[in-house]
Amino acid sequence: MIALKYVKSGNMRFVSHIDLLRHASRILRRAGIPVRFSNGFNPHPLIFFSPPLGLGVASEAEYIAIDAPMAAAEALERFNLSAPAGLKATRAFDLKSNPNLQARIVAADYVYPYAYRDIDFSRFEITYLKKGEVVSEDAAAKILGATSEGGKLCLRLATGGVNLRPDRLLGALNGIYGEDAKVTDILKVRQFALEEGKLVLVDEILK
Amino acid sequence: MSDYSRKFEALLPDVEKPARYSGGEWNTPDMNKRVRADMCFCFPDLYEIGMSNLGVQILYDIINCREDFRAERCFAPAPDLAELLKKNDIPLLSIETRKPLKDFAVVGFSIGFELLYTNVLYMLDLARIPFRACDRGEDMPILIAGGPCSVNPEPFAPFFDAVVCGEGEEVDLEILRTVADGKERGLSKAQILENLSRIEGTYVPSLKRTGYVVRKAVVKDFENAPYISRPLVPNIESVHDRATLELYRGCASGCRFCQAGFWYRPIRERSAKKCASLAKNMLESTGFDELSLCSLSTSDYTGLEQLENELSPYCRERGITMALPSLRISSFKPDMARDSRRSSLTFAPEAGSQRLRNVINKNVSEEEIDKIAVAFEAGYDSVKLYFMMGLPTETDEDIAGIADICRRLKSLYWEKRHKKGLNISVSCAVFIPKPCTPFQWEAQISLDEMKRRQAYLRGLLKGIKGVNFSWHGAETSVLEAALARGDRRLADVIEEAYKTGARFDSWSEHFKWDVWQAAFESRGLKAEQFTRARDLDEELPWDFIDPGVDKEYFKKERALAYKGVTTRNCREGCNGCGALKEGRCTIL
Ligand code: SF4
Repeated sequence: MIALKYVKSGNMRFVSHIDLLRHASRILRRAGIPVRFSNGFNPHPLIFFSPPLGLGVASEAEYIAIDAPMAAAEALERFNLSAPAGLKATRAFDLKSNPNLQARIVAADYVYPYAYRDIDFSRFEITYLKKGEVVSEDAAAKILGATSEGGKLCLRLATGGVNLRPDRLLGALNGIYGEDAKVTDILKVRQFALEEGKLVLVDEILK
Repeated sequence: MSDYSRKFEALLPDVEKPARYSGGEWNTPDMNKRVRADMCFCFPDLYEIGMSNLGVQILYDIINCREDFRAERCFAPAPDLAELLKKNDIPLLSIETRKPLKDFAVVGFSIGFELLYTNVLYMLDLARIPFRACDRGEDMPILIAGGPCSVNPEPFAPFFDAVVCGEGEEVDLEILRTVADGKERGLSKAQILENLSRIEGTYVPSLKRTGYVVRKAVVKDFENAPYISRPLVPNIESVHDRATLELYRGCASGCRFCQAGFWYRPIRERSAKKCASLAKNMLESTGFDELSLCSLSTSDYTGLEQLENELSPYCRERGITMALPSLRISSFKPDMARDSRRSSLTFAPEAGSQRLRNVINKNVSEEEIDKIAVAFEAGYDSVKLYFMMGLPTETDEDIAGIADICRRLKSLYWEKRHKKGLNISVSCAVFIPKPCTPFQWEAQISLDEMKRRQAYLRGLLKGIKGVNFSWHGAETSVLEAALARGDRRLADVIEEAYKTGARFDSWSEHFKWDVWQAAFESRGLKAEQFTRARDLDEELPWDFIDPGVDKEYFKKERALAYKGVTTRNCREGCNGCGALKEGRCTIL
């Protein structure tokens, strides 16, 4: 089992998670990475992704785990020669078993295109459209932290079972800043899993 | 990337399937090279459909393989994006560099279906390009059209500066050369068009006068003609999400209703060796796990066995499925069924009775239909049957023959297998008399008659268990026939229909028959004027286009049809259709 950390940016931001799943086996086929298949009546390639990334959002920290008998370093090189522009592997990990990232990841950091400023997130009303209806909620519990990242606002948001989509904060934040940032301006920079009650960087878990 | 890039991309998360518009597919060619002229290929339907079009992929690849030219793409945006573009004041952009269409040297539309004509205007409207060639100045790109509808370009001719009639592989490059040359020498658009009219297969509507003849363009050396070297791999599911290999052009069957079968003559096959190497190259450069062999009648291909022998082990080793579409019953072999992991068979007898099949020269006999039993033995539980309704000389008896075939198949099935029960789906289109066929003079049955015959067949099929019946919209068939055989007056009708709300006419949920009827009436016309029978000596709007096959041959074939006499398959010997003057039929 190997895992690759990869960047999803540019045009690939608009490829949905489901379409990426479908495309992944083509990338691996072109790359000559010998993916193992599941047993059973309808065999499928053993490829596992970290939780879905919202459409339009770019990321520097997506993960794919692949069951293939190949050294991770070699897989990384091959992957990058066969992936479309906008997908690029940046780190490779050799693993014993499926890290099951989909289930373990609970938080992620997103950098927004605003200058960092001290904002009170202890109460944070957001409004967004959901299936054509305007929804309001207090997102405070799902905003796990706010820091400055290179001078920009970086928010740690709950991901997974309890989840906050990064684009749903845009309305409120644009109001505060008086700007017109778009979902395509958001960048996910790292993801975390929960280990013994603590948030741990996914990179650390895979190492 | 153009100035519109960021603004445009910000809209994408709000539309359905944004990857339709974002581009960045694997195998996208170099878009940064400096070129003499660029062209935007426009396909007047959604991305998923356009990306399955072999012609567009071939031409795109050929142009981008040249150092001095570049091709980009644009598909009809779905209504949700169209609305956002208008609201945000963004013109229609190419996918690759997000460049406004009107900034290209050449904008080329591929038109393969009459019901897409209004979508051409829909795209020009979004691109802010005036509809009529005569209203476009020197600052506007040269607009060309191509694709199967160039058989009769008159209904859309006023919208274009030039129309490529026939195969575009060589012509498109020649057009780009001529346009680049004209621009470099500072020629006016009128002078450039004059030069374009000298390229074989290129029709310049503004220069048409009595005696004007356009010879269809034909790729003479098909064996060595360039094929898609690096196919684009769509990021979202397209209609044909696989590697597609074209084995040959033209068709030896000579079905009398089939436009493609005559239009793409002479019959030119690629050798099995060449095909195998092209296929492997495509599979390796794309990572597709399915290969489809594509031609008008694939199972007739001379080298099929050799090709299968070469490709089968290769595909098996790599877990690649090989699909063989459009099988003819007469060439069905039992092992074909076992090889393709499919549960459904597709056959097109086209007509329900032997008599009518003889009329249309669909050489499928009752005994051959019986051969489907082999497929039942091989494990098939489901059959799709394609028929046409309203064929010349058709009676209710012929229609009843469709039900007979279904019953016959059911009893054959139970002789061979006793499992699930057979599923038969019967799909029935309405006959459209098309230019460049022996039936180009025929009448189309009236709307009322279409509905009566559909109801009659539905009634007959209702009594048979396991049969599913679907049919084509009667109104869209009338429109398709009218547009296929119309003349220049229809350009006004198309424009009026677009302006009053017609677009995406091929999607039943968008099709507005009342809008079309009103559009015809606004010009003092009726669709039925164009679907009536034509006199054999009447001048036809597409007579000035020479398809290679002689008009006299069509007349002869028509006479044979009325006598119920069939014409042999060209593989048994040349029938003298006239296409030989455009190049050799390699099957002879
Ligand atoms: S020239 Fe002869 S062999 Fe070729 S398509 Fe015509 S009839 Fe058939």
